[in-house]
Amino acid sequence: MADVLVGFCASVQEGDLVTLESSTLAAPLLRELYRQVLEAGAQPLPRIAIEGLTENVLKFGNDDQLDWVNPARADDIESVDVRINLAAPANTKRLSNIDPARQARFDRSAEPLRNRYLARAAAGELRWVLSAYPTEAAAQDASMSLAEYEDFVFGAGFLDDPDPVARWHEFGERLDRVAEFLATRREFRIVAEGTDLRVGTEGRTWISSKGQENFPDGEIFTGPVEDSVEGEIGFTYPGVFNAREVEGVRLRFEAGEVVEATATRGQEFLREMIAMDDGARRVGEFAFGMNEAITMFTRNTLYDEKIGGTMHLALGTAYPETGGLNRSALHWDLVCDLRSGSEVYADGELVYRDGRFLNISG
Amino acid sequence: MRDPRYDALAELVLDHSLRLQAGDVLRIEGEAVAAAPLIVPLHREAIKRGAHCYTALDLNGLKEILVAEGSDEQLEFVSPIELRELDVIDASITIWSELNTHSFTHADTDRRQRQLAAQRQFAIRRRDLIASGKHRWCGTLSPTEGHAQDASMSLEDYEDFVFRACHVLDADPVEHWRQVGERLQARADELGSVRELRILGEDTDLNVVVEGRAWRAAYGRQNVPDGEVYTSPVETGVNGTIRFGFPAVYGGSEIDDARLVLEDGRVVAAEAAGGQEYLQSLLELDEGARGVGEIAFGLNYEIDRFTRNILFDEKIGGTMHMALGMGFGALGGQNRSALHLDLICDLRREGEVYADGELVWRNGEFLHDPQPARPAEHVG
Repeated sequence: MADVLVGFCASVQEGDLVTLESSTLAAPLLRELYRQVLEAGAQPLPRIAIEGLTENVLKFGNDDQLDWVNPARADDIESVDVRINLAAPANTKRLSNIDPARQARFDRSAEPLRNRYLARAAAGELRWVLSAYPTEAAAQDASMSLAEYEDFVFGAGFLDDPDPVARWHEFGERLDRVAEFLATRREFRIVAEGTDLRVGTEGRTWISSKGQENFPDGEIFTGPVEDSVEGEIGFTYPGVFNAREVEGVRLRFEAGEVVEATATRGQEFLREMIAMDDGARRVGEFAFGMNEAITMFTRNTLYDEKIGGTMHLALGTAYPETGGLNRSALHWDLVCDLRSGSEVYADGELVYRDGRFLNISG
Repeated sequence: MRDPRYDALAELVLDHSLRLQAGDVLRIEGEAVAAAPLIVPLHREAIKRGAHCYTALDLNGLKEILVAEGSDEQLEFVSPIELRELDVIDASITIWSELNTHSFTHADTDRRQRQLAAQRQFAIRRRDLIASGKHRWCGTLSPTEGHAQDASMSLEDYEDFVFRACHVLDADPVEHWRQVGERLQARADELGSVRELRILGEDTDLNVVVEGRAWRAAYGRQNVPDGEVYTSPVETGVNGTIRFGFPAVYGGSEIDDARLVLEDGRVVAAEAAGGQEYLQSLLELDEGARGVGEIAFGLNYEIDRFTRNILFDEKIGGTMHMALGMGFGALGGQNRSALHLDLICDLRREGEVYADGELVWRNGEFLHDPQPARPAEHVG
């Protein structure tokens, strides 16, 4: 996995400054990444987190501390060439009992750094890859044993293939063909049970996400026209954000804004998150999940948004490289399963049915 | 799972050593796995005190990979980001917590030295900031199996030893160390008027001229635990013989039972029962390596045994130590060297110290007030 992350995903070059960001639970993979980065002639900069320190700030910090931007991490984001970040949680529900208003305030403090690294990435100055190291906590969220979950993780990254990098290149070409097709259309209509939503993408860039910034990967996304989203959508899977789950989310949009938000569970949290700032009630991302090695929901966005045969919307900030203009401290992906009884129309033409694009090679 | 002793150590470091204030920016350095039991409470208590606190953590095994596999450039790399950090932080804590104190024993010595030299750049810059009053720093230890093994103890016994030495089991550890500070400062002031010390012990008869040199009291500001008074002697003023009963551990190697002969402040003969060659190689390191940079008395009587860790060993109550090499410029010391080799002489059984001819110390303690800290007076 380390060689795929360093060589294929991040294409680490001689002389690069590379931050390796994860928790102590990922130690075996961190050591291997460190070795591979050295081998590439680059300089690894470990940024090791201990889970639980964020909790200290959220529980005991005053406003000034919640708002604080660590200048050393800001310097990282300004100075490094590559960021490799591995999620490796010990307890994904650790922050469940934090006051959402304090959590939202804390999240807002991270926004300038996030915007800055996304801007540097869009300008080609910084490469980043977000991946995950399988832990018991993540396995538990997926309702699997650790051994089963490891198989799932490695399978989703094609790491069980004799030549994973070749597989990713081949898959990437297929995603590119779909993205090229999508770029020829201006408006999409998604029809499924409880869902009839129109999304405008004219002038926006569709990006095939093929293992560079996320690993595993496999989605095609864009930033929709900000005032174009109209209609209703019901999300199949629970929305997971900051250790909280919201189930049975239904959103109604008018002129791009959420005008009605309901949930069968966690509705209050949903509404608080949407009220976080002006951009939180608009859609920053519209995407199709295309990785058919990911078939089940595991309560981890990295995987869930790529489930082959799904689409997702993200409320909140857009990726600047798509042309999306929406900005927010929020970026909350919500996934809708389209694998049965679903259709997608592009400029009125049926292009997708039951989880697959029609008549597109690949 | 939460051990109140770690909480107490954290509070002592923040309140006594660093005098942490709301709004201060604090950096905590250590190894993420082994030091976690101390990092978590340090971070929590710093946040409770209104400080901005973050961690800069190592992961065990990474340095070993760097020394074994890195290119010359990678070995000597000094992170510019890390150097710039020093300009934006008010205080920092270094936590020592080796999982294995011998993981570099078979590493290439030259490559290891180059990696350490690069790492030292940060420490040197920080030392300058500390000296100019722009930075507060404290080094402390979080107990590990590795350190316990070096001390020939179980981890449980070693934890007891460490926390006793830090006096964090006292009702008011901050008050304890404040009082230690008062007493050691009085002792340092008194020694400041001494012209010459004569140290007598087993195979030891050494004259040390300290005239005009300031003595410093170490009472938990930059080290926890602490408890010593020290100065840099007059460079040409050390004469006689001295035997160091405890092994010296330097750069991961040991020198056992060293005996030195000094003339006019220079080592003219040196032998050791173990590590003789290593001792010789250190003496040849540079011009200043044969000179004396420090003379000190260890006065922490909770530290009653040798544990192969200089943080504790140099403070063993009833010992004196001498460092070959680098002196303390701020105390008038002029010896300069890349070496600072602490060698510890046990004065608990046969020791006598004369100050300008007057007996001031016998069998491990000063004979008159100001008395060094004794635990019995301060428990409760």
